[in-house]
Amino acid sequence: MDTATCILGIETSCDETAAAVVRRHGDGSGEILSDIVFSQLDEHAAYGGVVPEIAARAHVERLDGLVEKALGDAGVELGDLDAIAATAGPGLIGGLIVGLMTAKALAAAGAKPLYAINHLEGHALTARLTDGLEFPYLLLLVSGGHTQMILVRGVGDYQRWGTTIDDALGEAFDKTAKLLGLPYPGGPEVERAAARGDATRFDLPTPLRGEKRLDFSFSGLKTAVRQAAQEIAPLSDKDIADICASFQGAITATLRERVGRSLDRFAGIYGGERADPPLVVAGGVAANSAIRACLKDLCGERGFRFVAPPLQLCTDNGAMIAWAGAERMARGIGGDRLDVAPRSRWPLDENAVARVGHGKRGAKA
Amino acid sequence: MITLAIDTSARLCAACVYDAANSAVLGRAVEDIGRGHAERLFPVIGAALHEAGVSYRDLRRLGVSVGPGSFTGVRVGVSAMRGLALALSCPIVGITAFEALILDVPKGRPVLIIQDARRGEVFVQLFDDEGRAANAPAALSFEAAAALAQSAGAGLYGSGAPLVADTANGADLEILGDVAAADIASYARCAASKPPAGEAPKPLYLRAADAKPQAGFALPRKVPAP
Repeated sequence: MDTATCILGIETSCDETAAAVVRRHGDGSGEILSDIVFSQLDEHAAYGGVVPEIAARAHVERLDGLVEKALGDAGVELGDLDAIAATAGPGLIGGLIVGLMTAKALAAAGAKPLYAINHLEGHALTARLTDGLEFPYLLLLVSGGHTQMILVRGVGDYQRWGTTIDDALGEAFDKTAKLLGLPYPGGPEVERAAARGDATRFDLPTPLRGEKRLDFSFSGLKTAVRQAAQEIAPLSDKDIADICASFQGAITATLRERVGRSLDRFAGIYGGERADPPLVVAGGVAANSAIRACLKDLCGERGFRFVAPPLQLCTDNGAMIAWAGAERMARGIGGDRLDVAPRSRWPLDENAVARVGHGKRGAKA
Repeated sequence: MITLAIDTSARLCAACVYDAANSAVLGRAVEDIGRGHAERLFPVIGAALHEAGVSYRDLRRLGVSVGPGSFTGVRVGVSAMRGLALALSCPIVGITAFEALILDVPKGRPVLIIQDARRGEVFVQLFDDEGRAANAPAALSFEAAAALAQSAGAGLYGSGAPLVADTANGADLEILGDVAAADIASYARCAASKPPAGEAPKPLYLRAADAKPQAGFALPRKVPAP
């Protein structure tokens, strides 16, 4: 039986500056002692999206204060920690550098192990912190930067079954919002408008429907939305609501079809082993209630258990990074060296074939 | 008072351990790497501490170059040192590249410190004949920097000095040196003598983030009936 550990987690890969302290008990359960997220929404609102340089500037001026507060809220001192964990990728390099360098400093000064964590692994393991899930399970990660279906077999053992071949799902929401003149961030605005719209007014495509592979695609849908909207511009409030409803309807139809295939595949492999195989959802898009409802419904149909961690743990946070560090440590995986490099691209499944773009920094998705 | 100072704002990745009581450099490590500061900084700090025979716990003052320079390089240094300051409860001071560079120039005449800022600009600060700052750091065109040096009767020092001397009105200006970065020991001396400010050091960018508010992307809206 392993012993309890107390880990600091730092997350700065996009536009949230976050720090948290998490305790992992000897029985494998976890407890969040503090969890602080500072969102940079206001800084980026005028630009209609995250500006990497602005994000990096905000991280460097806030992170140390946030770490101090996270330690204070948790009632622990640096000396009480067993390790420091920080997101080292994938993400915006300017922010990753700030988080990783701060973590290196704390690790060096406190003579603590440093865990350079893959952001996606943080999302992948969160359900074990919140729901104590056993391996294996399926993870659907849907955010502004990622759209992936991942088979989680164990700590450090991931198989990417599907990914977007173009835009991330959150990006499709944001771009639709931008097109319609809705404020940033667009996801919640589109959902709000969709609630009063007619989803049958526009016939929008459901990309990759019928294809055997488990990938996603959203750029065709984005283009179809643009063309439909351009045809009827100038837009009334009703037009906007109807476009949003039709767009969201096409998204849920796509997810139902695409995710359904992954569930079938999972059931084919592990069907005999577990009675209620879990589908975990993570990422900011998991906040969309129509998408949640559709996934929940799909899981019900296929005999899957739908697991959605609390919203603040679905979006970017430090607790998931601390937890990933704790899980690695508990398995006897050693810390990283102080010369470990941040990686803007870092596929969780290093064996996965790149779907789009592959340069010297690694696969894009 | 044992001081650790680092500079990651330009090509070098440099660290220096300095003992203010004896005005002595106890250890230093400098690597000319161009890029990759995030990877090399802690090994470089480790080497300087090792040479000095001290540990992190012995440090009583931290100093970090806040630039101007590479935005990323400066953030590597500032985030690392703010992290160390938090971990060690140690006072920290930010030192501009200008403050460190001026220490490397003999006193006796005004000096315009000039850093190549690319994109047809230089980052400059003017110092008087006693080495005291005479204006605030700024980003200027080569010509404006030359005019400033002319009017002050200043010599030129720093990586941008040749750029300014090459302008039409810069021909009479004297180049005192064109180094890209100050001696890391100058950063350490400056860190040991400069009182810590109330707030933690921030990068000195002298240039706004390269971003423009988006406009004209959204489709037109119907004007509501009056």
